[in-house]
Amino acid sequence: MAASVAYGIVRSPVKPNRTTRAEKRNRAVIDRSLFGLPGIRRILLLLAGLAVLAGSATFGLAWSLSSALTHLWQGAALSDQCVWIGLFLLCFVGVQGIAWLQDLLLDNYAHERADELRHKLVTAVFTRGPELVQASGTGTTTTLLLEGVAQVEAYLRLILPKICRLLIIPLLLVVPIFLLDWVSGVVVVIVFPFIVFYMVLLGRVAGEKAARQHRKYQVLSNHFIDSLRGIDTLKLFGASRRHGKNIYAVSEQFRRATLKTLRIATLSGGVLDLFVTLSVAAVAILLGLRLLDGSLTLFPALTILILAPEYFKPLREFAADFHASLDGRNALASIQTMLRGARPDAADVSPPSLPLWNNRARLAASGLGFTYDAEHEAFEALSAVSFEVSGFTKVGIIGASGAGKSSLIQLLAGFSVPDAGTIHVNDTPAPSLKRADWHSQIAFLPQNPSLFHATLRENLAFYHPQASDEEIAEAVAVVGLQDLIAELPEGLDTQIGEGARALSGGQAQRVALARVCLDTRIRVLLFDEPTAHLDIETELELKARMLSLMQDRLVFFATHRLHWMQSMDLIWVLDGGKIVESGTLEELRARGGYCSSLIRQLEGVEA
Amino acid sequence: MSAPSAHDKSPRAKAGSRAGRRGDRWIRPFFKQYRGALILALLLGVATYVFASALMFSSGYLISRAAEAPGNIVAIFVPVALVRIFGVGKPILQYAERLVSHNWILRMTSSLRLKLYNALERDAIFFKQRFRTGDILGLLAEDIGHIQNLYLRSIFPLIRAWVLTVLIVVCLGFFSLWFALAMLLMLSVIVLLVPLVSALRQGACEARRKTMKNQLYEQLTDNVLGVSDWIISGRSDEYTQTYRASEEALRGVEAKLHRASRNRDLLLQVLYALVVVALLAWAAFQFGGSYGGAADWIAAFVLGFFPLIEVFAPLPKAAVEMNSYRDSADRLGRLPHEDETAADTGERARAVSENPSEERPLSAPDDTPRQDAAEHISATPRAPLTLAIKGLAYRYSAASRSVLHDIDLTLAPGEKLAILGRSGAGKSTLAALIRGDLVPTRGSVELGGVATCALGDRITEYVGVVQQQSYLFNATLAENLRIGNQRASDEELWEVLESVGLGELGRRLPSGLDTLVDEAGLRFSGGEQHRIALARVLLSDVPLVILDEPGVGLDPVSEQLLLDTLFKTLRDKTLIMITHHLQGVSLMDRVIFIEDGSLCLSGSPGELAQSNAYYQKLLAFDTGSAR
Repeated sequence: MAASVAYGIVRSPVKPNRTTRAEKRNRAVIDRSLFGLPGIRRILLLLAGLAVLAGSATFGLAWSLSSALTHLWQGAALSDQCVWIGLFLLCFVGVQGIAWLQDLLLDNYAHERADELRHKLVTAVFTRGPELVQASGTGTTTTLLLEGVAQVEAYLRLILPKICRLLIIPLLLVVPIFLLDWVSGVVVVIVFPFIVFYMVLLGRVAGEKAARQHRKYQVLSNHFIDSLRGIDTLKLFGASRRHGKNIYAVSEQFRRATLKTLRIATLSGGVLDLFVTLSVAAVAILLGLRLLDGSLTLFPALTILILAPEYFKPLREFAADFHASLDGRNALASIQTMLRGARPDAADVSPPSLPLWNNRARLAASGLGFTYDAEHEAFEALSAVSFEVSGFTKVGIIGASGAGKSSLIQLLAGFSVPDAGTIHVNDTPAPSLKRADWHSQIAFLPQNPSLFHATLRENLAFYHPQASDEEIAEAVAVVGLQDLIAELPEGLDTQIGEGARALSGGQAQRVALARVCLDTRIRVLLFDEPTAHLDIETELELKARMLSLMQDRLVFFATHRLHWMQSMDLIWVLDGGKIVESGTLEELRARGGYCSSLIRQLEGVEA
Repeated sequence: MSAPSAHDKSPRAKAGSRAGRRGDRWIRPFFKQYRGALILALLLGVATYVFASALMFSSGYLISRAAEAPGNIVAIFVPVALVRIFGVGKPILQYAERLVSHNWILRMTSSLRLKLYNALERDAIFFKQRFRTGDILGLLAEDIGHIQNLYLRSIFPLIRAWVLTVLIVVCLGFFSLWFALAMLLMLSVIVLLVPLVSALRQGACEARRKTMKNQLYEQLTDNVLGVSDWIISGRSDEYTQTYRASEEALRGVEAKLHRASRNRDLLLQVLYALVVVALLAWAAFQFGGSYGGAADWIAAFVLGFFPLIEVFAPLPKAAVEMNSYRDSADRLGRLPHEDETAADTGERARAVSENPSEERPLSAPDDTPRQDAAEHISATPRAPLTLAIKGLAYRYSAASRSVLHDIDLTLAPGEKLAILGRSGAGKSTLAALIRGDLVPTRGSVELGGVATCALGDRITEYVGVVQQQSYLFNATLAENLRIGNQRASDEELWEVLESVGLGELGRRLPSGLDTLVDEAGLRFSGGEQHRIALARVLLSDVPLVILDEPGVGLDPVSEQLLLDTLFKTLRDKTLIMITHHLQGVSLMDRVIFIEDGSLCLSGSPGELAQSNAYYQKLLAFDTGSAR
């Protein structure tokens, strides 16, 4: 306990300051958001009941132990004290027995709540998908699901009984103390609010001091990891050896700064300790003095002396875990924010179903807009985008980085929902393309197709798990993966993906293409820079195979690599979130607009 | 893994003996460092609880004594004074203990960090490539945090409890040897047996929990990355169910752990109760039988035990947690020794990664250490600084396939060379050999008549590198630039910024050169980061520059602008550009293609465009006029 309080202070500056908003809301000592949890009333009532029992048992143990001690002090025989000793044993173990029951109760309750949150979160991620993940990042999403929920669980287990005990046990114990000796009662009652006041005060001061130095702290504490990440750069410039001294110096600087803050931060724990010990000492001395003048007897004095530390114990326990519980508290806040932030899900509202795309089908959109809710400001990625495509057209999408190519592909794939505008499929209006009957006929091929940690066969047949060996062999031949399979120790049944056999970028792209081959329902292909990081020779090999897959399909192909444009029927040029030009390559060249200047910029040097 | 070669100076046996002591390189040696502060922290920790116990002890005696002799203030004078001393002293000691122990821990952290840095520094060039997947650096940095915790939460509490146990037994020994021994037996169960059994029984469970959690982490990350595929395939529910099933399995283990600690705490409480009763019985036997007098001590001995429960309570948890630090200690233990020769490092360092990527051509230089600079200090490259590569071959170990073979190449000062080839063809390995980070298995790489691998860190005076991913340190722009040349003046920095096309940007920064590079709202774009990297190289003023896929990740227009700047500023230098497509290649003097580790095509871009069909095909493809 001693360490954990202070440890919170040591580590907290290390964390990035993205939780500030949640932290501000969480300044209150007791977290209000707890009271919104389902079943919380019942559990709090049960806990309160157990706290009353625990308080009574504590009183019982003090009573029986004092009785035994007093009798022994009066010269009674040990054997006559069996009843009192038995009672003491019962009460002493009873206190822990109640804690046992309480833990059992909470273990289940906290798990149920955590499981509920986890279920909501994982459902949100796997139905709302890329939109949600993109907004918070893959790392944050998985961390929130795994660590965040676990922290909430631990937080509930930790904080609920502490709150109940803090509110009930001191109140319960102060009654017998008063009845036995009102002077001691007054001492412990006066001290209690003082402790709370000073702790809150010192906590604030330390917090402010830490906040003032936050920036400095962050730089100092991140210096080490920063140096490790850039260690190869330092080495390339021959600066790495001398940088070692720097690391030590900065770390020592961090130590001194931390200790300065700790001196105050630890003080709040110290003050609590001081008040508690001093009041126990004061009670003891006052009792002694009043025993001397005969106004008190040994039995009540001993009982009070045993009860006094127990009276303060819930406060000490609450304070000790307060810092440790902050993580869970912040996690609960972030999860609730993430779940609240969910946009209405269009997939649930099922308008007339979309037919399978065919060569007469038509997709029209007008005035589409899409805005990202960044943390501080909204960023308008697309605005007033209108278009119409029909049949098996191949649409090339070009534009500088940040022009909105990826956002448009995301909308077309139905991963995100437009904020404005209308979409019509064959004259049927659809609020968005985020719907299962659209998803089932599209395939999305990004720059880095995701390979799952599974066998190559499972990865290939991802869209069509029932694919036969012949079908798979055919797809493998189409995309040119035979050589790889021949090389693999267990052929199609080799594990690939993270942590197993890694595939190169080109091979991963081929696996993604094979998935398309295997699923006959796929009529629409969406590419987002599929060859951007491939070497030119691999790209050359893949191009023909990709083009053959594009036949008899509607294609949207966003890329920087302009040679693809010759194979496209229609080209959209994006700039600043709008389609600024649209037409065939010849038309655009002839028009001499943005597209041809882009081409010139690229080819001018080469020519 | 590390088969001997001509350059291998360290026999396996030596590595083996090192492995023996590697376990304690990161934890035990620090007990010796700053020993004074450590002992002080432990003493203060023990003293805190001695005072806490003494407070209740003297209070118990005080009221018993006072009850016995009403009116006699002198009788309780000493106990009252003691109660005051212990009451004031305990919180002060505890406060001091926290500061001293944190000070010690943070000091040790500084040393640990330096040690970790030095262990990584030697092999820095290859480190990132080896651990491309996963944030191994973040993990290692966290491991140091775990070691901090190991001291604070496990080692300190255990030592404190053991010392206190010895003190209790010794004190009781003055009164009764037999009871002291009985107490030793009971307390041993509390401070040794229960923690040990918990550590053994729950340790296995805890390890299983950790493995499951890690697997779940990997599985979830994998699938969140592929979330769009799950949605498109309409199989989302399938995965959510799998995931919940895994979580349920994990919960099973966790519930078991919780149950175990719940039951253990109940058991401990029974033990404490027995100790209290034993103390009561013994004290009654030893001091009882009369009204007051010696019987004043009974309450003292019994009450004195209560505060000590707080010392014993965290022990089982501390012992269980010891297990979970083992991973951290192991991971750090597998790092190369900070003062061993590079030859030993390869095998060890590679073992740190659980997943050595097979695709990477650049891996640990197992048996081919860079010679230590000091040994060859005499050899200095002489002008003209011609780069001569003769009969070069390279393989990672005798057993593996060679990555490069039969490479012959001469590059006169000022010549510009482009290296093309598929990923994995050996381009990066060739660059590493040129920089002397790897030692050729056969043949030689010489710069101005000296083997580059013999130059040690002095290679940085001759060869500069613009990396694929240039790292910007979280420091000021000036500090970031001066990595290239510490002694550069502000004027030189501005001059170089101007030449890489960042002059305008530099002037717009709120504090100019002294602006922190990550200050709120200020983010350098990919192109700008490359330009800063170029500025560093220009400042270091080296005759030969290697560009490692300089435009990767940029859109074609930005890439072309960057290439223009590169060629303009590096005009007078020897230039080697590794690239995976043809942009900018026409401006080079010579192009080579590497395929399967050997040169398959070589010539000036002009010649090749005229006469080589393959090159023509690629060129036509790249510039977009292919059909």
